[in-house]
Amino acid sequence: MDLLIYAILSVKNDSEKLNVLLAEMKGVAGADLAAVAFESTSVVVSNIQRADLAADRNTAIEYAAVIETLSQHFALLPVRFGSVMESKEAIISMLEKNHPDIQKNLINVENKYEFGIRIFCQPEILRAELRAKSEAMYKNLLPPATETKNSATWDWVNKKLREHRLEELLIAHVDSVITDITEQLDRLNAISKIKKMVTPTTIIDGVFLIDKVLKDELIHIAGDLQNKYHGLNFILTGPWPPYSFVDFTVK
Amino acid sequence: MSENKILFNSGSFDGLSEEIGKLTNSEDSKLRLTPDNADSGLAKLVLTLVELIRKLVEKQAMRRVDGGTLTDEEVERLGETLMKLEQKMEELKKHFNLTDRDLNINLGPLGDLM
Repeated sequence: MDLLIYAILSVKNDSEKLNVLLAEMKGVAGADLAAVAFESTSVVVSNIQRADLAADRNTAIEYAAVIETLSQHFALLPVRFGSVMESKEAIISMLEKNHPDIQKNLINVENKYEFGIRIFCQPEILRAELRAKSEAMYKNLLPPATETKNSATWDWVNKKLREHRLEELLIAHVDSVITDITEQLDRLNAISKIKKMVTPTTIIDGVFLIDKVLKDELIHIAGDLQNKYHGLNFILTGPWPPYSFVDFTVK
Repeated sequence: MSENKILFNSGSFDGLSEEIGKLTNSEDSKLRLTPDNADSGLAKLVLTLVELIRKLVEKQAMRRVDGGTLTDEEVERLGETLMKLEQKMEELKKHFNLTDRDLNINLGPLGDLM
């Protein structure tokens, strides 16, 4: 029998509170939950046969639900779905070897939740707007074809140059939206990670860590940004356990 | 989950569901190598890398053209080379029955390759 790991928690002097909480909860496939402690941290686990762990939607939801409930009571570092170790001794050894990194990460996420922001656009509409801007900015492209020049080549270069300039304008536009978002988030002392141009429609995909009590402020900010950028669709999600803010690799 | 996780959404839920689907179900853009499709799978992988490099070269070239530091002759030579590369790439895609979408591999949380 192996141990399925859910999260690493900062328990401090609240081990009794954790035990009471675990007694009321169930893990994947209805398994009982237990804590493996090392100094001020605990790892929440349940018994599992490695071969029985199904990588399906229901199991993932059960797994996430455990982490979600624990995150409402303790600062924690979620563990990748399906992380299994063979014994309590192996877990304690892992905690011992990684203690400084675990402590550092737990301090970063203490009293904070993760939120996500995704910004979608209708690419045709956004590109049409930027195209008009681009044409106005760059009235003169390259020299037109003459008898001495290969017109097919120049037509091709001009077409590519227009596309290039449009792409540059699009990136500049997305960068300006990101700057706006990060300025607003800085007011909340947020730690953020933002990716841009993930797909043609998802122009921004960001996650950030903020204090638990600032949730309403965040919704207000999303509304303000939406009012400013009518052509974009803002989606704010959360609160989540800090899935995107565990920054260490287990030694 | 214990509560509604969508705190703010200015669009419709159908639209949101469609967008999330695009991020998570890009089946066409995944590399699926099996013993039965080793030839076409390898062609897709190689052409994906070639297309990525070709696009990077083209992007850098357009930056230089836009910068205005090249002479007309240099632009024409560069343009002709890149145009022929693009045409050759189109021929190869046609030969292996691949589309632009096939060559734009989905990198999961990182988004699309190109």
